[in-house]
Amino acid sequence: MSDNDAMGANLQQPNPVPITVIGGYLGAGKTTLINRLLAQPTMPAGTAVLVNDFGDINIDAALIKSASPDGQVIGLSNGCICCSISDDLSKALDQLSNLPLQRVIMETSGVAEPARVWQHCHYPGFTPQALIVVVDAENFRSQSKDKYVGQLVNAQVDQADLLIVSKMDHNPAFQLRRLTAQLTTTDPSLLATVLGWTRRHPLTATLSTTKTASFAARTWYQQQALSLEELYALLDRQAEGVYRIKGWVEITAGIMQVDRVGERLTLKPMEDRPVPAQLGLVFICST
Amino acid sequence: MLTLFKARSVITMNPSMPRASAVLVRDGIILEVGEAENMQPWLQGQQYQIDEQFAEQIICPGFIDPHLHPSMAAVLLPMEFVTAMRWKLPWGEIEPVTDAKTFDQRMQELHASKPAHEPLFIWGYHELWHGEMNKARINAVSEQRPIVVWHRSFHELYMNDATMRMAGIDPAQIKPGMQIDIDNGHFFEVGLGFAINRLNPWILAPERYAEGLQRLKQVVHHGGHTSIGDLATGLFNFDTEAKALAEQLEGDDVPFRTRLVVHGTRLTQGGRKPQEGPELAAALMARNSHRLHFGKHIKLFCDGAFCSQLAQLQEPGYIDGHHGEWLAAPEELERHIRAYWHAGYQIHVHVTGDLGVELTLDILQRMQDEKPRFNHGFTLEHFGFSTPEQIRRIAALGAQVSANVYYLHELSDSYASAGIGYERASQMARLGSCFAAGINTTVHSDFTMAPAEPLNSMWVAVNRENHVGHVMGAAERLTQQQALQAITINAAHAIGMADITGSLRAGKKADFTVLAEDPLTCDPMALRDLDVVATVFEGKVFPVK
Repeated sequence: MSDNDAMGANLQQPNPVPITVIGGYLGAGKTTLINRLLAQPTMPAGTAVLVNDFGDINIDAALIKSASPDGQVIGLSNGCICCSISDDLSKALDQLSNLPLQRVIMETSGVAEPARVWQHCHYPGFTPQALIVVVDAENFRSQSKDKYVGQLVNAQVDQADLLIVSKMDHNPAFQLRRLTAQLTTTDPSLLATVLGWTRRHPLTATLSTTKTASFAARTWYQQQALSLEELYALLDRQAEGVYRIKGWVEITAGIMQVDRVGERLTLKPMEDRPVPAQLGLVFICST
Repeated sequence: MLTLFKARSVITMNPSMPRASAVLVRDGIILEVGEAENMQPWLQGQQYQIDEQFAEQIICPGFIDPHLHPSMAAVLLPMEFVTAMRWKLPWGEIEPVTDAKTFDQRMQELHASKPAHEPLFIWGYHELWHGEMNKARINAVSEQRPIVVWHRSFHELYMNDATMRMAGIDPAQIKPGMQIDIDNGHFFEVGLGFAINRLNPWILAPERYAEGLQRLKQVVHHGGHTSIGDLATGLFNFDTEAKALAEQLEGDDVPFRTRLVVHGTRLTQGGRKPQEGPELAAALMARNSHRLHFGKHIKLFCDGAFCSQLAQLQEPGYIDGHHGEWLAAPEELERHIRAYWHAGYQIHVHVTGDLGVELTLDILQRMQDEKPRFNHGFTLEHFGFSTPEQIRRIAALGAQVSANVYYLHELSDSYASAGIGYERASQMARLGSCFAAGINTTVHSDFTMAPAEPLNSMWVAVNRENHVGHVMGAAERLTQQQALQAITINAAHAIGMADITGSLRAGKKADFTVLAEDPLTCDPMALRDLDVVATVFEGKVFPVK
């Protein structure tokens, strides 16, 4: 479907409003990230923020007003629909659907499985755009082995389109060895990337209405060992629009950790464990 | 004026005098239970009447359901029930409908019996019995009248074209991925939320809600209750509910009292800290009236819904490998529990799976380490799955159990074959072990999750027979004595009312449930069919017709 077709199909109704879902376990830094987004001067007008108001709300209301005149904070809850007939999230989206919105940023509850929230974003008038999960570098390892929440925090990471690693200063050696696009909260392109992130998905790609730059990831999965020359060639071939590459690749000399930001490439042999379950590269590109 | 009630037998639930034949009452308070000839000292020089209307019947302590949801009932009860299981409702017994043809017939009859254009809401559909549902099938009943067919689980519904027109649902708005199959008029999960928002003007219309609470009042009365617990006041909206409850469940014609236990996370919703909760909850007691009581009780939530297989399970989990869900992060639940524990509250935790029980007990252990409390009444609510080791911990930590035992009847068969396997399915509601461990144990309906009929809960707890007729976990069966304890004195302890009700002895409120037959000596299989003849609430007789 071309952009023109999408326009034609939507003559009777406005484009659905894209929703960026920000997930992650309790304390990972979701609210801090949202506050940083709201404090940005380039924050597009017409952004609504949905927060989970069963916890402490730390969203800075002043920031919301100054950054986005149409912005609203509406509580939502994680809960089974059968137990809440007036279903908060649906109600919040219904309220928002009367506003001239460009986008919604939705903070999930810390115990939400982001994929379930993603389902919920297919609400009339809305469309899910990206599923971003914040991971706490300081506590992820212990949480991921916890008897009660281990399965949940791993599922949250597995379901993400983009991982944001927070609190690296508390644990500089932290690495999530998996082939999902990831940034740290100190990355200079963090906010633009979060706002522009789009899951590669036929519907969201054509219906997206964001006016900011759009970002997405491509993943290359390694099937067989490469020579160093082949790896360089692979990295060069991907240059266009790609501004970041990260991953783990097996070359003749062993498994290398690959990290390229802009033109700066770091290759270092991986000596410690665990070896990533799947080797390959993630390319973050602007589109 | 004193009233001397005589009965074929009085079951007191007072272990010091289990049986009697008369109860003497003044101003709604029991003066003496025992034999009429011993009561002369009370009667000398006093005006009194001898009430022999129950002379051939059995007086029991008034039944108590310690955990149901009037607000959910108020939404459901105005709907028409067409169900595969039997429901005894005051306005008629719902005969089971177990095939598609009869389901359609019932829809037709209901359609024919209603004033034209009044929307028709039907609840109780289940594909296992009633075949595939779709819009065309409902349209065949009527193209003009809005008709909604709600699934028994409440998680999905079907509607006809007339409903879509009424609710302003435009099929062109509906896009793939929304959990709405618009061609079949089928709304589920997220799609259900959308449909409910559109239907709310009809479902939650104030007069309909009031009618629902009036029906609840009848249901509670007919079940033989004289006390109930609303175990999540504020489930939908606190102010609306509190106002409606005050209007509908208070007054001389209301034959029961209600313990209101506020929904803890709703109470501090909007960014308030858990530590502010106890004070907010305490302020609610200023609203108390004769029949409606907030107290130092709070309701909190641990893991997901039992009937949706979202209970959090320990290994080996669910057969298909899926996982349950937490309703709050464990740290959040602990912060809330800590706030109320230190403030001296009785804490009721919704917990369904054995991993949820484990978490809740771990937290309770930490609370006991921080601030030891005795007689704190910490209650595990629902208590679907558990382990024998957990029973010991519950007893050691001084907690109590309020179980929805009906799930064993309705779900153990399907959970054995498509859920968790036979062993654990048959050991849902491990109640015999609870009694053996000396844990205060009660049963509830969670109405509308199960019928609000204490005798039905008693029947399940005693027989442990599932809906296909198999006895599940025979070793966990309760005796009739234990099961009657569960729905009277133990339930009173669970809602913090054992000082005034739950047994018959001098000084307690004169709350009776009058039965035609003796629930301790009857055939155990007959328990759920015993006739509730009347209830007596604080000395006043309310016949059950």
